[in-house]
Amino acid sequence: MEIRLEKAFLIFRKDWKEISRNWQVILPIIAVPLVLTIVLPVIMIYLPGAVYNQGVYTGDVTEFIKNIPSEVRMQISMMDSRQAMIYIVLVYLFAPFFLIIPLMASSVIASDSFAGEKERKTIEALLATPISDDELLLGKILVSFIPSMTVTILSFTVYTIVVDLLTYDIFNGKYILPNTTWLLLIFGAAPAVAFATIGLIVGISARVKGFREAQEISGVLIIPIVMLIAGQATGAFFLGTNTLLIMVVVLVILDIMIFYIGKMLFEREKILVRLD
Amino acid sequence: MSMIVAHGLTKRFGDLTAVDNLSFEIDEGEVFGLLGPNGAGKTTTIRLLACLLIPTKGEAEIAGYSIWRDQLKIREITGILTENPCLYERLTAYENMEFFAEAYNITDPREKSIRIRELLEFFGLWDRRHDKVGKFSKGMKQKLAIARALVHRPPILYLDEPTSDLDPESSKAIRDLIRKLSEREQCTILLSTHRLEDAEKLCSKVMIIKEGRRIALGSPSQLSMMVNEYNVLEIRLRHPHKKIRSILEDISGVDRVEIGETVIRIEMKKDVEEVTPIIVRHIVEAGGEVLSVTPIRPSLEDVYLKLVKGDGDKA
Ligand SMILES: Nc1ncnc2c1ncn2[C@@H]1O[C@H](COP(=O)(O)OP(=O)(O)O)[C@@H](O)[C@H]1O
Ligand SMILES: [Mg+2]
Repeated sequence: MEIRLEKAFLIFRKDWKEISRNWQVILPIIAVPLVLTIVLPVIMIYLPGAVYNQGVYTGDVTEFIKNIPSEVRMQISMMDSRQAMIYIVLVYLFAPFFLIIPLMASSVIASDSFAGEKERKTIEALLATPISDDELLLGKILVSFIPSMTVTILSFTVYTIVVDLLTYDIFNGKYILPNTTWLLLIFGAAPAVAFATIGLIVGISARVKGFREAQEISGVLIIPIVMLIAGQATGAFFLGTNTLLIMVVVLVILDIMIFYIGKMLFEREKILVRLD
Repeated sequence: MSMIVAHGLTKRFGDLTAVDNLSFEIDEGEVFGLLGPNGAGKTTTIRLLACLLIPTKGEAEIAGYSIWRDQLKIREITGILTENPCLYERLTAYENMEFFAEAYNITDPREKSIRIRELLEFFGLWDRRHDKVGKFSKGMKQKLAIARALVHRPPILYLDEPTSDLDPESSKAIRDLIRKLSEREQCTILLSTHRLEDAEKLCSKVMIIKEGRRIALGSPSQLSMMVNEYNVLEIRLRHPHKKIRSILEDISGVDRVEIGETVIRIEMKKDVEEVTPIIVRHIVEAGGEVLSVTPIRPSLEDVYLKLVKGDGDKA
């Protein structure tokens, strides 16, 4: 049967109304991006010694330099060591942090939309309406995906502006963002991360009790991102354009698998059976 | 015409058989009562007929549509009051109604707003339409949930314990509504309840189930016949005297007579209405002063308790 888009959007509008009135969901979606886009760069640039402290950090820069791809090496070759440090931190070290935004946002929204609806025992009347499973699923995926990506792109925009403004003088009137890495990150990796999160929650929604449990389980997805952050911070690898491209491809394949499994596990009957 | 035909409907949850081989038919415009103690399988039966659960075995047709194949179509033509009110507490009453109206394909804005207003006014919720449902009382939620079930004027209605959270006045309003829907709009209504009062007042046919199995099926009066061998007539006399007994015992159709202080109790296998005029005439001719004549029909409650305590399919 074909999917009637107006039914999916009906679900979308209903869920969005509910979600936007839930502070449990809205608060983290506002707070986390604020910290990442404004608080962190300000600390980096203005707090004395946070980034640039000759005695401690020069070593790290050179440690990085070993693993830095040639394209980036080129970019920093003309900079002094303060510029290079700020550049590496704000443009590369911070980048994987931004994957937390689509992960966190889609995780809280999808948990509320799928598991929350079940927990509040409203799903039965919804399942009794002449809306097909596919339409319902699509509506709920969209309501998890679109706001998450909106927040992600908005955060990226704010971060770009903040960083460019704050570093304008340091880099003698050159804007350091956006670049290819970031575009790939925000428009390639971020949606892939959001989809993986949503797919996971779709799959577990029939089996969890409610919002909290869905949140806790989807929390495991933070582990690969933390590994990414840590891996880069310790110089184990570097998120250059090539590495990111490979990552996006892997994520997309993973997404397809997660969705395939998620959809198999999403049985309307199971959701109802676990109701009582 | 049968609107709902169930045949051998069975639902198992693991080892537990919640609905066990149920067969029944419900005519168009009929109010059909599903009675049984808690855990009997009433809600599960309704969920099967609403295509919310897939049966383990058996078949049911709703207006000719199979619950195995035509689920979307069946959901379109049925309205359901679920056991939980299933309302969005962060949305207002109006927003809830709007969502379900559109879900049930009422997309024309004018038609939608007229219908919603009509229903909310009927249930006395119009003034509270912009309040979040989370602030509503249980009874108000129940009313809103019934309003939602009716939003698309479904020809078939499933009501799972519709009066359970309502005060007597609201219960009566709901009963009147159910009667009106069945009589005027030919709406076919399946009503699950453990309130025998509702079933007795509303249902033309009643099915009693226990542990998923049918233990009785028939009209309320047929059911009372099933459990009571004798029909009972009580007659109050001003001065009952002993010789009345022999007069009464001679009347053909009268099986037993008991004479109390003021009341004579007569048991008969025959239809009460057939024998009553003869009995009264004999008493009057014998000089008795009749104060009242009351046929004692066992209430559905007596029937129910007797059937639910015993077991086996007697119908
Ligand atoms: N989703 C379910 N999973 C497992 N057992 C269930 C489920 N729903 C109902 N049951 C069991 O099936 C039986 C019938 O339940 P139900 O249909 O809700 O009864 P009623 O509505 O008559 O009170 C009960 O024993 C109940 O515990
Ligand atoms: Mg029930």
